Amino acid sequence: MGGGAMPEGGGKKGKKRNLDAIINVVPAIDLLSCCISFLLFTAVWTQISRLQVQQMGTASEAPPPEQKTLTVTLSLTERGFLLATSSGTSTEIPNMGRNPDGTPIYDIKKLTDRLKQIKSDYPDQVAITVAAEDSVIYADLVQVIDVCNGAGLTNVAVTAAG
Amino acid sequence: MAIIQPGKRPSARFRRRKDLLGSSDRAWSFFVGGKGGRGQKATNAEINVVSMVDMMTMLVIFLLQQFSATGEVLFMQKDIKLPEAQHGQAIEVAPVVAISNTQVVVTGQKVAEVADLDRDPGYLNIPALEERLREEKKRWDFMHQQDPDRDKNWKGDVNIQADVKVPFRLVKRVMYSCNQVGYFNINFATLEVSGEKQAEKPKL
Repeated sequence: MGGGAMPEGGGKKGKKRNLDAIINVVPAIDLLSCCISFLLFTAVWTQISRLQVQQMGTASEAPPPEQKTLTVTLSLTERGFLLATSSGTSTEIPNMGRNPDGTPIYDIKKLTDRLKQIKSDYPDQVAITVAAEDSVIYADLVQVIDVCNGAGLTNVAVTAAG
Repeated sequence: MAIIQPGKRPSARFRRRKDLLGSSDRAWSFFVGGKGGRGQKATNAEINVVSMVDMMTMLVIFLLQQFSATGEVLFMQKDIKLPEAQHGQAIEVAPVVAISNTQVVVTGQKVAEVADLDRDPGYLNIPALEERLREEKKRWDFMHQQDPDRDKNWKGDVNIQADVKVPFRLVKRVMYSCNQVGYFNINFATLEVSGEKQAEKPKL
């Protein structure tokens, strides 16, 4: 372990003092072993997160002060996305085909770009309504909500389409 | 006949050593850690534990990063595969509604079969789920009965743990039932993934 070397030629014969210092690491090893055992028992291997949503018409927070915002509605259907805003613009993003199990393949990249564009045009905009069809599977819905959160539209309300 | 006292004896490899030949005393003293005669070699073996301490320290740091003080809010179930998301927040303790392809479960208690729910699609609510959530809300009220700001502190959080293949018509009914009872803040449980991993994953 740590220690110092004996200086060469120094000191009188018979009076050499050993400078090697031995640090007892056994308690440290014991402590580390206990820590490892405890942490292994309490470790959470799967990191679970949450995506917060509201059902349409049940806003839990007070409405924000008057800002430059608009109403954005994203329809999630079997045919693809339909992004409509209260400013009158409407963008259709058709799906890119179907998976072998019959579920549609959505064009997530184009949706991300469009949502980021809305966010850059209206920086105060945080609300979006996702209207999903009954046949849409949960994984697609979560992916769309995740994309909305990633684009800065964090106040997501979910409702049924049609 | 000589009496041989049982005990530790030098192993066979010591017998082959020339400097120990014919001298059982020296061999014995060599074995038990004394000085070995001519060479006077110290035989105390020191194990270098520095690398082991380093490794254990690294392990402790890694495990501390994995440590979660809140514990497991959700229990992973075999029949529920959670979707992945990149922009989720830390999950909080709240009643858990688990939706698999076969049943709806609230905090470990089954409240509905999916087949039964599909049989009556005209209704939006799930009465058994509402009843169970009302009990959860009553329990919360009881626990916070001394709190003067009880109504203000009620956040109405509920965690929905649904399988990736569950259709939205089922999630919609669960959400509606939660709203009827007063659970307005609905949290979809997801598996947290990094951006790189999500990019590698094929599109749905």
